[in-house]
Amino acid sequence: MSTEEIISSGKLELYVTGSLPAKEAAEIAEAVRKDPVLQKEVEAIETSLIQLAGSVSPGVASTIWSKILNSIRPVRTMEEPDTRSVNWAAISGWAAAVLAVGGIFWLLNTNKDLQDEIELTTTENSDLREQLQETETRLAGSKEILNILRSKDYETILLPGNRDVAPEAFAKVYFDKTNMVAYIDSRGLPEATTTMVYQAWSLKLDPLTPTSMGLLDQANEVEEGIYKFENVPDPDAFGITLEPAGGSESPTLTQLYTLGTVSP
Amino acid sequence: MEQPDQLIHAMKAGDEAAFSKLYGMYSEALFGIIYGIVGDREVAEEALQDAFVKIWNNSASYSPGKGRFFTWILNIARNTAIDKTRSKAFKNSRKNLSTTNFVDILASSDNLNKKTNAIGIKKYVDALKPACIKIIELLFFKGFTQADAAEELDIPLGTLKTRNRNCINELRAIVLG
Repeated sequence: MSTEEIISSGKLELYVTGSLPAKEAAEIAEAVRKDPVLQKEVEAIETSLIQLAGSVSPGVASTIWSKILNSIRPVRTMEEPDTRSVNWAAISGWAAAVLAVGGIFWLLNTNKDLQDEIELTTTENSDLREQLQETETRLAGSKEILNILRSKDYETILLPGNRDVAPEAFAKVYFDKTNMVAYIDSRGLPEATTTMVYQAWSLKLDPLTPTSMGLLDQANEVEEGIYKFENVPDPDAFGITLEPAGGSESPTLTQLYTLGTVSP
Repeated sequence: MEQPDQLIHAMKAGDEAAFSKLYGMYSEALFGIIYGIVGDREVAEEALQDAFVKIWNNSASYSPGKGRFFTWILNIARNTAIDKTRSKAFKNSRKNLSTTNFVDILASSDNLNKKTNAIGIKKYVDALKPACIKIIELLFFKGFTQADAAEELDIPLGTLKTRNRNCINELRAIVLG
């Protein structure tokens, strides 16, 4: 297309108002760029349109430009105070979050401490209950023994120390003939070594027949140093010997510590 | 008017002073276009601000090889103004302005008092044929494509091109003498 043809086609006017399809607009742009005559023509069209549009304007207020500047310079003008206020919000938000998390941990910790305390108290309680039970058991034992000492059913038999073995030793037997129950108080006997144990015997004297009653050990102990034996064979006398741990079938007479007869 | 390519180049490089000069050269025309579309001064001012912020922010996407700078910012201004007319608040506030065109606006005494130039233009615009007013309104102020305008006016595309050229020639005679 020649310069004149382009001018008379009416495409330049449409080019300036942006009404051409993109492809045609690009062709015109190329043609105008190369042709000073077309360039002048386009400038004239554009100027008349700018004048027309400007005449329709009710007048641009002078404040508009500063508002545009504020919008394109956000950092230097409007944002500064904004940033500060946003920071305060953020800071208080984070502070609240930190406090809340801290509070939760504190509560969890406190809760755990309290649970530990409860557990400890429960353990202590059960310990105390056990001690109480033990004390009650012991008290019952002591009461039983006291009842025995006071009772008319029990005969007190003193077993003096064997002069050849332990002249200082002694033992006491409380014996209920009717029920064949005997209590032996070992307070007067020297302490047995760990490998040895005292053994109690009921004796028939004519002929001399020893029958084992049992060992003065934990199994028969009812109170510290007091041992209970039941189903005691009807004796003429009681004897206590020191035997190897576990006891013996017949008494070792060389180790006879005490011996006492039952009054007829 | 020659296109101020140096100013445009400086603006693309972030030069506020260049941008300020371009604003001085084109803001009145763009405000006229925007006002012609929205018909409300307050909304038009908002749209003008938005349009120039867009021009600044998108200046990198304009290159003189693609077309006229005025055409490029004209499109931005029209699209920004049309966006404003689509908002619900705008639709509710707008009353009987839908039938106004640039000549009606030009005819209002408010404008005539402000712009000495407008008086002269008005005198000749009044002489423009109603067909010219309609065609310039659609293609320039409303941003219709040539195909849409031809359809709207119910005339062949060739007729549209010729008529538009004749109308703008008349305008040029009035404005440029």
